[in-house]
Amino acid sequence: MKALELFLGILTAVGGFVEIGELTFALNAGSKFDFSLLWVVALGTVGIIVYGEMAGRVAAVRKQPVFHLIRERAGLTAGLVTLIAANLVNMLTCAAEIGGIALVWQLVSGWPYRPLVAGTFVLLTLAVWFLPFKWIERVFGLLGLLMIVFVAAAVASKPDWQQVSGGFIPQLPKAATSSEMWLYAYFSVALFSSIVLPYETYFYASGAIEDRWKPKDLNLNRIIIIGGSVLGSSLAVALVILGSQQLSGREIEAQLPGTAALAAGISLGRWALIAALAGMVFAFGGAAVETTLSGAYNLAQFFGWPWGKFRKPREVPRFHAAWFILLLLSTLLILSGVDPVSVVEYSIVFAVVTLPFTYFPMLVIAADKRVMKSFANGWLSNTLGWLFLVLTTLAALCAIPLLLITHGGRG
Amino acid sequence: MNKESVDLMRSVLDHEIVDADDVPCGMVDDVELSGGPGARLAVEALLTGPGAWTDRLPWVFPSLVKALVGRHTSRIPWTEVASAGDRIKLKSTAKGLGLNVGDGKLGHWLGRIPGSEAD
Repeated sequence: MKALELFLGILTAVGGFVEIGELTFALNAGSKFDFSLLWVVALGTVGIIVYGEMAGRVAAVRKQPVFHLIRERAGLTAGLVTLIAANLVNMLTCAAEIGGIALVWQLVSGWPYRPLVAGTFVLLTLAVWFLPFKWIERVFGLLGLLMIVFVAAAVASKPDWQQVSGGFIPQLPKAATSSEMWLYAYFSVALFSSIVLPYETYFYASGAIEDRWKPKDLNLNRIIIIGGSVLGSSLAVALVILGSQQLSGREIEAQLPGTAALAAGISLGRWALIAALAGMVFAFGGAAVETTLSGAYNLAQFFGWPWGKFRKPREVPRFHAAWFILLLLSTLLILSGVDPVSVVEYSIVFAVVTLPFTYFPMLVIAADKRVMKSFANGWLSNTLGWLFLVLTTLAALCAIPLLLITHGGRG
Repeated sequence: MNKESVDLMRSVLDHEIVDADDVPCGMVDDVELSGGPGARLAVEALLTGPGAWTDRLPWVFPSLVKALVGRHTSRIPWTEVASAGDRIKLKSTAKGLGLNVGDGKLGHWLGRIPGSEAD
């Protein structure tokens, strides 16, 4: 049964790495800069492994999810600002995922967009209400694995592997103009942010408590977060490769989920196109569930409400009301006619601003030998933890200026 | 609690409160103290609820946020605290102390929806 716990990592990673924002950022990064941003994917993967492992460890040892730590160590005011920002990001991301599912559904059925948004809302509500947490992990995690078709498509597109491996070395674009440099910097920050999205750690730590992890599960925690993140990272790398191989030079900008499916279809044919579309529905669905539940977890944990899918809904009514209201607000936002991809682009940039406020309390607690005892951070976790805290702070400071300078990545 | 002293900032304030059955029932949003200059300072009660935490916000936010979320505050006598550490554990149940009262009505309503008994 313990092997099935892997699905928490898979859902966290699929919902975090290949949601609609990552899908478009990674494809466009490949299309605009070929393989030269792959090092950012690798860097982000290490970052999410470091902080995901810490979040899971603290949850297993202290039974404390992320927003308890934020409230405890950052205090009320800074914690409340983080809560509002984090839930705004959750809502925007969830809205984008709902829109993404409706767009894919429309592509397949030809039905009008807005009723499909409403239909998506109904299906997601039923899934979160009726499915126990373990089945949410399994359904969205397992079916989101259909996204592996992008890895197969990337391999089939026959990239120059020497150039691909060269992309993992940090670099600047050659002979670039200043506007291209700004665009490269923007894509670096956005791609990094789309990989280390804060809701992944909120959801992962809460999921560890939902799954009743104990200190003896810490090895499992490492396997799950490394396995899930490497899987998600492989999908992101595949999307960058496909962006370079299929879209670069064709003046195609990935602004719709269908563009990604098309990139897989060009390499592997009709069945790959179908698998990609189905995979996207479950990956976006997983991200929508992840963000809406994260929002409810955050609120409940910050204010000390009873929470969790492991409790009966009538015992945790504020938690259930919270996720439902968040899902409803996200749906209303997307029904207003905003473009899902634009929404998620902004949400990803704003997400990076919340990262230092999320990571700092986590690092302080995980490193505190007084509270974590023998489970406190070792030298490697501490070194990497501080390094990524500095990197996320720099990214947070640069994110909004870069968004403005590059007109949202449009140059 | 039979300890003579406790680090209020590190081990009490902004910590989760759980009842005797380990059910979460709020955060320590403020602490009520007794005593004064020259007198022994003692913790009288823990305060939880929007009425308590909104007062800790800066500038004009206390009155603004109170208008939005209300001013309900629950008072938990310090004598009801069994232990303080990662979380504050109480000796009684939330129901016995009148905590989580809002959940009753909403929970009753949610309980009528199919699937509400599943866990």
